[in-house]
Amino acid sequence: MVTETVTLQAVEKVFPNGVRGLAPVDLNIRQGELVTLIGPSGCGKSTLLKLIASLHAPTAGSVSWWGGDFSRVGSEGRRLSFVFQDPTLMPWSNVTTNVRLPLDLDGVPRAEAEARVLPALEQVGLSHAATRFPAQLSGGMRMRVSIARALVTKPDLLLMDEPFGALDEFTRNRLDEDMARLCARDGLTTIFVTHSLYEAAFLSSRVIVMAASPGRIYAEYAIDPGMPRDENFRLSNEFAAICRDLNALLSEVSHLDHRTEQAQ
Amino acid sequence: MTSSRLLSIGAPVAVGVLFLVVWQIICRVWNIPPYLMPAPSDIGASLMTNGPVLLHALRSTMLVTLIALGVSVVAGVLVAFLLVQSRVIERSLMPYVIILQVTPIVAIAPLIIILVKTTMPALVICATLIAIFPIISNTLQGLRSVDPGLEAFFRMHKASRLQLLLRLRIPGALPMFMAGLRISSGLALVGAVVAEFVAGTGGNSAGLAYEILQSGFQMDIPRMFAALALITLAGLVLFGATAALQQLVLRRWHEHG
Repeated sequence: MVTETVTLQAVEKVFPNGVRGLAPVDLNIRQGELVTLIGPSGCGKSTLLKLIASLHAPTAGSVSWWGGDFSRVGSEGRRLSFVFQDPTLMPWSNVTTNVRLPLDLDGVPRAEAEARVLPALEQVGLSHAATRFPAQLSGGMRMRVSIARALVTKPDLLLMDEPFGALDEFTRNRLDEDMARLCARDGLTTIFVTHSLYEAAFLSSRVIVMAASPGRIYAEYAIDPGMPRDENFRLSNEFAAICRDLNALLSEVSHLDHRTEQAQ
Repeated sequence: MTSSRLLSIGAPVAVGVLFLVVWQIICRVWNIPPYLMPAPSDIGASLMTNGPVLLHALRSTMLVTLIALGVSVVAGVLVAFLLVQSRVIERSLMPYVIILQVTPIVAIAPLIIILVKTTMPALVICATLIAIFPIISNTLQGLRSVDPGLEAFFRMHKASRLQLLLRLRIPGALPMFMAGLRISSGLALVGAVVAEFVAGTGGNSAGLAYEILQSGFQMDIPRMFAALALITLAGLVLFGATAALQQLVLRRWHEHG
């Protein structure tokens, strides 16, 4: 069984304006992992995610998807879903049509697509809102619709770019718990970008701490994936210890930042 | 009826009534002759006596306005679609769209009236030339101003150009298009009236502008004001109709709760 999903080898990204988004990065995402990318602004965590989604092309180095190029990903092959910072819903369409969109674009027959929407909505607890429009939903509910839209294709790899960054902490915690449950149940391979070390500590089986200017991987931190990720986990001593460790790594990274700033 | 609704309807009506009353009193107290400044009552009386003629003129003007608006919508949207297809097409054609916009229509209206022998098409062309620009520019901007995240989502799913157009660009352009339609409906009326002024056509196809001109020649100032009131009324109806249409089409965008 192949356990590798996405592999990055010496991937570099220099933007057209000359900014070095990413110094050479090596990364290997294994099947069933929930990896979070965390680090200060400008550390290239979103850039890294977009390279994996093939929304950006690397300046140097190579990205491989399931041992091949991006053509491995598509309606016939492996599936990749992306959840953006904003819900990016179509305001003119109701929840069902929004969730069905990726299936429509992939040419899935209407009846089959319709049948798959409701289970996806049930997964995010929104089966009661199927006929509502985005303007009628709260921010948290819109984000859930966006997640349902990502899950409806049954992705082999789920990419999430600070999906809950704009939500209040209470809503964010609830969505994190839902995500943890979904990922554990379906063995979803997920790469999750976040600003919040608590979110990273709560969700991940592996935390990748990144440093800025140029963006690079500073440290990796493994968390026992066996731990049940529920409300009690947040209150446990293990959680507190993980947060302390991550906090120490992040403060190292920010000191590093100050030094480079002073050197410049 | 809620109190805020009462305020939004009642307050402007009160201002209007007050204005008419003050106008009436000034005209009566200073005994201003109707050929200088008619009182609202004179205008009302004129509306009654000249009613059939003025309503016929209103029909002509509205016909020109609505046809011009229809042509503007169809042609404007087509031009916007053409322009959005490629940078080259836009770069080569956009200057001419702008030239069309900045050239005062009053200046080219006589030329069009001379070139196009039949009155009705000539009037429609003039009104269309005025009304089409907001449709073109707004539709173009609407087609462009797509949520970049959604566009990335479509690209990730390898959407075809047709899918992008039908499922993203066209619905996404609707709010801007509707705003353009509102502006254009007012401009189409302006264009129709201006064209009628220049053409000066009387007879069966005489519009409200012709009635204003004639009233001026005959020193029938109350009739002039009556015709003007009808033009204003027509403008209000057009504005209300397009606003209602906008509300209807974009309800889902803004609906809360």
